[in-house]
Amino acid sequence: MKLKQCGLIILFSLIVLIPSCNRKNNGHPNAIIIGISSDIDSYNPLFSYTVDEGNVSELLYLGLIDFNWDENSGEEIPRPMLAKDWQWNKDSTSITLDLRNDVYWSDGVQFTAADVVFSYDLYSDPAIQSSRYGFFKSFIADSAFRIDLNKTFIVENPFKIIINFKKGTLPNYLDFAIPLVPEHVFKNIDRKNLITVEKQMKPVTDGPFYLSKWDKNQAIILKANEKSFLHKPNGISELIFKIVPDYTSRLTQLKNGEIDLMEDIKAEDLNQLTDLSNIKLTKISGREYDYTAWSNIDPDAYQKNKKIIPNKLFGDKNVRQALTYAINRQEILHDFLKDHGELAAGPVAPIFKNNLDTLLKPLPYDPDKARKILAGEGWKDVNHTGVLEKNGQRFSFTLEIPSGNPRRVFAASVIKNDLKQIGIEVKIESLEPQVFFQKVFSHQFNSWMAGWSVAIPLDLRSFWYSDLQNTPMNFSCYQNKNADRLINEVDHEKDKLKKHQLFKDLQDTIYNDNPVTFLYWINNNIAYSSRIQDINITALGAVYHCWNWSVKNN
Amino acid sequence: MLFKRVISSVVVLFLLISFLFFLLRLSPGDPSLKFISPELSPQLAAKVRESFNLNSPLLNQYKTFLINLMSGDFGISYTYRIPVFSVIMDFLPFTLIFSTLSFIIQITAGFFLSLISVKKIGGKLDKSFSRLSLIAYALPSFFLGVILILIFSSLLNIFPSSGISSFDTDSYNFLQRLADYSTHLVLPLITLSLSGIAVYYKYLRENLEDVYNKPFVLNLRANGCTEKEITRRHVIPNAINPLISVAGVELGLLFSGALITEVIFGLPGMGRLTVNAILTRDYPLVVGCTFISGALVIITNLIADVIKVKLDKRLLKGMLN
Amino acid sequence: MIGRIKIWHLILFIFVLLLAFRFMLILNSYILLGIYVGLLFKNYSEAISQLSFSLVDIVSSAFLVVLIPAWIIIFHARLKFLNQHVTFTKLVIIILIVFFLYAPIITNANPGFQQNISETRLLPPLSSIEVIHLRNQKAKEQNIFIRFINKKDEVVKNTFDESIVFADSIRLGSEAVIYQNGEQKIFPMDTILFSIGKPVITKKIFLFGTDEYGRDIFSRLVYGARISLFVGLGSVLVSLLLGLSLGFLAAYPGGLIDTCISRITDMFLSFPAIFFVILILALFGNSLFTVIIVLGFSGWMSLFKIVRSEVISLKNKDYFFSAKMAGLSGYKILTKEVLPLILAPVIVNLVFQYGSVILAEAALSYLGLGTGSFYPSWGAMIESGQNYLTQAWWMIIPPGLCLFFTLYAANSLGKEINLFFNPRLKND
Repeated sequence: MKLKQCGLIILFSLIVLIPSCNRKNNGHPNAIIIGISSDIDSYNPLFSYTVDEGNVSELLYLGLIDFNWDENSGEEIPRPMLAKDWQWNKDSTSITLDLRNDVYWSDGVQFTAADVVFSYDLYSDPAIQSSRYGFFKSFIADSAFRIDLNKTFIVENPFKIIINFKKGTLPNYLDFAIPLVPEHVFKNIDRKNLITVEKQMKPVTDGPFYLSKWDKNQAIILKANEKSFLHKPNGISELIFKIVPDYTSRLTQLKNGEIDLMEDIKAEDLNQLTDLSNIKLTKISGREYDYTAWSNIDPDAYQKNKKIIPNKLFGDKNVRQALTYAINRQEILHDFLKDHGELAAGPVAPIFKNNLDTLLKPLPYDPDKARKILAGEGWKDVNHTGVLEKNGQRFSFTLEIPSGNPRRVFAASVIKNDLKQIGIEVKIESLEPQVFFQKVFSHQFNSWMAGWSVAIPLDLRSFWYSDLQNTPMNFSCYQNKNADRLINEVDHEKDKLKKHQLFKDLQDTIYNDNPVTFLYWINNNIAYSSRIQDINITALGAVYHCWNWSVKNN
Repeated sequence: MLFKRVISSVVVLFLLISFLFFLLRLSPGDPSLKFISPELSPQLAAKVRESFNLNSPLLNQYKTFLINLMSGDFGISYTYRIPVFSVIMDFLPFTLIFSTLSFIIQITAGFFLSLISVKKIGGKLDKSFSRLSLIAYALPSFFLGVILILIFSSLLNIFPSSGISSFDTDSYNFLQRLADYSTHLVLPLITLSLSGIAVYYKYLRENLEDVYNKPFVLNLRANGCTEKEITRRHVIPNAINPLISVAGVELGLLFSGALITEVIFGLPGMGRLTVNAILTRDYPLVVGCTFISGALVIITNLIADVIKVKLDKRLLKGMLN
Repeated sequence: MIGRIKIWHLILFIFVLLLAFRFMLILNSYILLGIYVGLLFKNYSEAISQLSFSLVDIVSSAFLVVLIPAWIIIFHARLKFLNQHVTFTKLVIIILIVFFLYAPIITNANPGFQQNISETRLLPPLSSIEVIHLRNQKAKEQNIFIRFINKKDEVVKNTFDESIVFADSIRLGSEAVIYQNGEQKIFPMDTILFSIGKPVITKKIFLFGTDEYGRDIFSRLVYGARISLFVGLGSVLVSLLLGLSLGFLAAYPGGLIDTCISRITDMFLSFPAIFFVILILALFGNSLFTVIIVLGFSGWMSLFKIVRSEVISLKNKDYFFSAKMAGLSGYKILTKEVLPLILAPVIVNLVFQYGSVILAEAALSYLGLGTGSFYPSWGAMIESGQNYLTQAWWMIIPPGLCLFFTLYAANSLGKEINLFFNPRLKND
């Protein structure tokens, strides 16, 4: 019996150990493997919410137009995709698009204008609850935001379509960049169950890649669609999104060649990558920033009867400015982010060069000035407790942070120490993200730290407009009539130069009011294998335009 | 008797998911958070919340929930947007296979180790195994898992550190695919099974020692039975009996998802699914996962009890011969 | 294992060590207490507002460091357990208790202390760093309040210290030039603290290295013991209360109540404990209090079963009837009859549960649902160390070993107590 046991054990070990000698992706010479941290929920553009979902859905389904990023002006420039050409009418209330007639869906049916009309119908239908529902503010729609198809779309022939917009609005190029879905596939499905039913259907796509296999929680395998007009003869034949939840494993796999591209690399790990000859580094900057929020209104009064009164501690803009002076943002940027980022002076990223007011510089770290300003506002350390007081109110509050983000934990303790030095007592509380965001949305906090990822194109209305009911993301409840006026003007301004100036004025206003302390713009550090050629990573995303890449194996 | 057990188990399950239902809806957290972001329109979140039926009064929601439950419908997962059971079916097979494998390893290893050590009670092997089992029991599984990854994955690069398969397995034949799965499962299985082996070893060894010391063993020896026969036909069956209920409980716990192991090694199992559902407030999925876990625990306990009863009958028969 | 040494020898040895290394700190704590008492008399309200947990903590530790050895020296002959021989288990338990009571004195630092992070992060064990002390701009008045504040800053450690700067190397000349990670910083001589004519430059040694924020791992280990022990104790108490009361409530009257409570218990048993814990913590936030309550809730079931079965078997005994006839109330029956019988299995159960609660707390911290960031927890240290697995093994190994030793000690203690209550016939 002992012999049998030993034999079994040896056999088992052999089976287990042999394949580990053979673990490189040698079966796929022209494949590029991108490491992502979690699986996507859907590849359908109707239901894409995360960045990864957006990447995959935009590679499978094309839109009417696409964008190039112009670094010099900091703007996105539209370029033709499914629409070869377009003309605006004189007052920009309608556009005529000429569509390509050489695009076919993967089941052989040709792409026509009917797909365009149908897609917009789906996107705006409340029964579907697509990710772009409620978006099309410049389109003629009813009260439930459903686009009125008859008034909006005129199909002259299968490859020529006219879109009419609502008078008095300024149409946005982004509205026709959305990926379109095939009419003939979706038109017979009950709208209410579409989200469930479509998951069980085989995808019908027209993009430069098609979905070859989706191994849940393992990998999403896309293969090149050779019939697509975007297909490059020596381009990548296979694009694989490999799901590796653990950051350290991802990094290890990047280093030994098992994955070819990885985003969001921590600043301290870049050193070990710079010396490797098979890895190249680049970055996307200005898409993400962290901020420390000071609630401009009193949260208790707001909770009780929705009254808007200034916050006892942070209601005054001078106090907020003093807080910005008191925080050593440079230290966090240098020590934690290793200078892979830059200090933020306002909500507009430095990459939007045309709209950036370059005269505004981030406030320097100056605790003495902070003390002076606070003293001027009446905050004094009356009884030498080390904490400032004014009219019996101690300058003491709780800084809330969402758990699970080391950068914010670090920044919070630096902020706590910095503010202690000028006499402000800060207690740090870390909450689970769900609970945290729910409370932030309902304006329950005095002060917190969070971050934003910035959309392209620039949008300031969603964050800084004072109407709290319609601007749920104005978390700090910033109230300024001048800013409101500027925001409204920006939405209606057609002249480009005037628009740039309006944005700069808006930044000035926000800068002077200092509603939150903008901390720093964080770089998205990207590393990719030197096997990838013809790659040009812009602010639009790491995987953007990846059909232009080619693979060179040594 | 069995029928009564089944009925009371069903009642218990029902209590469990009702309790959970109310707990989830009365606590802070918003499942529609995923649908709120600067890139989305605020009207979307409102519409989504409506579709989740979270705005109607609590008792109405409970009524709908119960009615759906009667027809076996647990609802649609908020995150995945497909029926809860389909989601669970994606994750359940792995958990079942993984837990069963680990269970087999634990029982077998614990069994053989205790047999070896009981041959010479108080000897060197016995003492060292006892101490080792205490060590194995005290070693936190996440610590062990992280150390194993450090040694075998990062330093020696023998085993992969996460996942259950390499992605390019469509080009492999069956044997290679099996081997690929095995490499991925070695470290997780060790992490999960070690403390279990210690538990079974301890139980078995105590029971075996007890039985060896009973008078009837002396009797058998005096009658001329060989040591092997004594062990195989008399001692082991007597010792196994109390082990079965323990095994039942442990297996039930295993089925509920070896959560920590799954998190460390990134395995697609029920444990991770449940925790993620809790963290994203995916209420239907949480209720569904809990139901499955609870059902598995109850079923394994029932099976353990049945086996125990059958074994008792056989023991009685065997001893009378 | 260590054979000859008795427990009280060991304890005294530890205290002698403490007193030797931390003499100044302990003395300063007494002085602080003296000033505080003076402040109480002079300005009552101010003194009360200055009262804080860390203050009470270090002063009481300073007192206990003298009281307990004195007590041991006086009573060592009388108490049996002090005269037992030291084993590995007992050693671990004693060290844990010492960590728990004397954390501020042992470490002489705040577990969250971080400064000049680019200098101090991810340093290997036993690395040292140069420290240059700056002149502190403190008020020189003789006001008792100011004296109290100054002394307090010396004794109660903060998370940062503005009067010191860390450096790789320091060059003194007409001004002090310090090098941090290759960068230069210059300090004019009049900002530097002098003592006996020379600038004060000391060395700071990190016993177990630092983590990614530059915090000393040794201090975090010692304070982490507090969390583990405290959470363990709290949860076990909660379990005990719940198990006892529910067991008695269910078994004594019997009948329908018994069935109901038993079913509810079964319900809790069939729900995997860890999910339940995570659920409650995720839903209601994770503070120290919540964690203790929830972990207590996950462990009372086995106690319930023990108590219930005892009471049920008791109900069928003769002396029970006679006791009831004599008029003893339910409460008296519980304390006089039931408790002595269940004492043995309950204690064993509690000790094992203590171990599993500590493990559970560490696991929760590992998953990010721990007790919050006020005190470091061993599980959280392992979790953050996982990201630096290949670069900084010292972030994981020390807390992991601490956890392991604690669990090992708890389990072997449980085994020993079990043997004590149920002596088995040992084989020759």
